[in-house]
Amino acid sequence: MSNNLSKEFNIRDYLREDLMPHFLCPGCGHGIALRALLQAVHELEISKDQLAIVSGIGCSGRVGAYIDANTFHVTHGRPLAFATGLALARPDLEVVVITGDGDSLAIGGNHLIHACRRNLKMTCMMLNNEVYGMTGGQASPTTSQTRYTTTSPKGSIEPVFDACKLAEAAGAGFVGREVTLQMPSLKNLLKKCLQYDGFSFLEVISDCTEIFGRKNQLGTSPEMILNQKSSMRPDSYGNIVDEPFRPNFMKTGVLALNERPEYSATYRQHVARQLKSKEKK
Amino acid sequence: MTKIQERPTNVLVVGVGGQGVILVSKVLAQLCLSKGLQVKQSEIHGMAKRGGTVFSHIRFGPQVWSPTIPAGEVDVLVALEWAEGLRWLEYLNPDCGTFISDTQHIVPPFACRNRQRGSEDTYARETPAEIIKKVPNGFALDAAGMAQELGNERTSNTILLGILSTTLDFEIKDWEETLDLFVPPKTVELNRQAFHIGRQWIENAIRTSEVAPVSELYEQKFFPEEKGLVEWEFIPEWCKGCDICVKMCPERCLKLTPDQKVEILDINDCTGCRICEWLCPDFAINIRKPVFIS
Repeated sequence: MSNNLSKEFNIRDYLREDLMPHFLCPGCGHGIALRALLQAVHELEISKDQLAIVSGIGCSGRVGAYIDANTFHVTHGRPLAFATGLALARPDLEVVVITGDGDSLAIGGNHLIHACRRNLKMTCMMLNNEVYGMTGGQASPTTSQTRYTTTSPKGSIEPVFDACKLAEAAGAGFVGREVTLQMPSLKNLLKKCLQYDGFSFLEVISDCTEIFGRKNQLGTSPEMILNQKSSMRPDSYGNIVDEPFRPNFMKTGVLALNERPEYSATYRQHVARQLKSKEKK
Repeated sequence: MTKIQERPTNVLVVGVGGQGVILVSKVLAQLCLSKGLQVKQSEIHGMAKRGGTVFSHIRFGPQVWSPTIPAGEVDVLVALEWAEGLRWLEYLNPDCGTFISDTQHIVPPFACRNRQRGSEDTYARETPAEIIKKVPNGFALDAAGMAQELGNERTSNTILLGILSTTLDFEIKDWEETLDLFVPPKTVELNRQAFHIGRQWIENAIRTSEVAPVSELYEQKFFPEEKGLVEWEFIPEWCKGCDICVKMCPERCLKLTPDQKVEILDINDCTGCRICEWLCPDFAINIRKPVFIS
């Protein structure tokens, strides 16, 4: 038995038990993603004092609040901006941003691309459930075409965002994607993200069973989680709009891995240089 | 007309979609074909993309009649995933079969969706060491981990191919040349490395097996808990009755009560595979360290 598994993982050690049971709907994939994160943290032996969780608004934002660590629940779309400040001021902390598809692609889209560009050491976990669940089921940037939501009662017609391609193009060092059905590989991917020295972006395909699933008649929670991969369409199909598929979301795993200078280190070197030249004067 | 002196050699390759089962069987079939043997290969891979099971029967020899292998006549069973290996174990020749398996676990929900409660199950609660003892020649290794160390997780099938190559009478050079035909041009070198890692592993395994079985060492590292009964801990206040664990349980030993809480029907059916624990969004299920029966 290796050392890092010396103490068996018990999720109750990492949860604020007085807040449980959590407010998420039955069958919501966010819970599975949270377990994967906590298990990854446990296996990497990151202490709870060292872990800083920053989350925005929405169902995904609420997820962070259940973790018994340093958690920071900030304004809509801005968790990456707050986390940038935190990671620069406290490089000793392990900063994890939990954000949603609307939170990071619509309201905070600007912050996402600039966080990718800077390549500051932090992990951004985007929980993509294709909808604004907390506010009543409005269409989000990742809602697949022809899906019904409160704001698209006749079916959504907008093309969707491929968040991983966006992050890769903006310069993120590590880009990955996984479905909640494959929880062990999601955990392994999160471990890689946490170990990566730079900005790592992970898209987690999650389910909104109560609001999105019910409106689109996608079946019960087990059916939805089992269909996570089969409802995706390969790249070769192009952007034909006939049936509601999640377009171009076929690939999972590590999608991009770049060697780029980490921003925090560059920043500190720059400051040191400036101070030195000041002394000389 | 040639006389039929010997029965064909039977190789069965099993795994989960995406692991490279078909590649392994293609390499072997092509190699046999180039040696002038008769080869029949039969595979099922339709649902592979959706996480389903994939298997491939390969029979070769001077004369082969049927493309599928009868149960109990497999000479070499190569499993790219542990649960799949156990599922096909009854096909292995009980007297002289060789069982080669990767011990990695891939959640295979589709593979067990339609299983009825009470039906015969080929899952085993035994640890790899116990399974290895049951079969005539057994080798269990963490090929996925080894492939990851090599730099590409997808080469785990080549590592197993390397091990398979030691059980059949073909020259290394021929294996390598055939392998090069099927892998993408960029990964030829990597796959050759993986092939040799597999061959090296088995040499060490045979050498050290008198001292300590390799699977036992492996077990201490990865399966410390899979001994004895499983302790299934449940927090009813947290459960929201989403039904995921009930539908996912491969043993069908969970049930939703009328007040939308989960209960376990028979703890003896539980193999401790942890699928219910992993996929519970409400953290209501905990698989605790098993009770040791001494």
